[in-house]
Amino acid sequence: MRRVQIMLLIAALALAFGAYLAFTAPHDALQGEFTAMLYIHVPTLWLAFLAFGITALGSIMYLIGKKARWDRAAEASAEIGVLFAVVGVFTGMVWGQAVWGQAWDWGDARLATTAVMIFVYIGYLALRKAIPDPEVRARRSAILGTIAVIQVPLVYFSVNLFRTLHQTQSIRPDGSTMDSEMLVALLVNVVAFTILYAALFMGRTYVARLEAAGVTQRAPAADSVSSPRLKEIEDV
Amino acid sequence: MSDAFVVFVSYAVVYGSTLGYAAYLHFRRKRAQ
Repeated sequence: MRRVQIMLLIAALALAFGAYLAFTAPHDALQGEFTAMLYIHVPTLWLAFLAFGITALGSIMYLIGKKARWDRAAEASAEIGVLFAVVGVFTGMVWGQAVWGQAWDWGDARLATTAVMIFVYIGYLALRKAIPDPEVRARRSAILGTIAVIQVPLVYFSVNLFRTLHQTQSIRPDGSTMDSEMLVALLVNVVAFTILYAALFMGRTYVARLEAAGVTQRAPAADSVSSPRLKEIEDV
Repeated sequence: MSDAFVVFVSYAVVYGSTLGYAAYLHFRRKRAQ
């Protein structure tokens, strides 16, 4: 648990430095103060992509080796991924309202595919809650976790495949279209949020391990089966 | 509402939700122990 606390502390320091850079970086000429939305919108959705990728990795590893720790990793990552995806969409809506004049547009490919991705991963978490048997739950959710990751590249490349409202990527293999100071601030925030993801992932898997151990200890057969009430039968 | 205030609230929501999740994990850990 000490490692989780240290990671959380490092994440908090990195996020504070990231926020400082975000508010001191130059503004875009047209977006003004709303330029700062870039430094939370991009990192949160990057984390959602990373988290869903780790869910797929955990799912595949579970299907191969049937080790419970991979199932716990997949679950933890999906939960954190949904949190960051929802937060990322919220920041995008605030930004969209200010810059586009509308918070949401179902006709936009990036927005619509992101919404579907979030719904599928909420479905993944709901599926886990609906199956009491740990082995059946792990196997079925691993299959869904493996298939669902196809949405990550679909969301990422949706801006290239369908030219709608959302802009294309600012950082490409051939370079960046951003000012260098803004790029540094963005990369620092991406790193800070990735450290935060690592800390939350470690904390979540630790809790899952404790809960799994608790279930095993609390459910011996002697406690769950009551003794036959023979006296009542004799009285009848 | 000024633009800076809206941006500030958005940052507060992002950091606050993360903090909320960390607190939720803390209480789940206490209950599991």
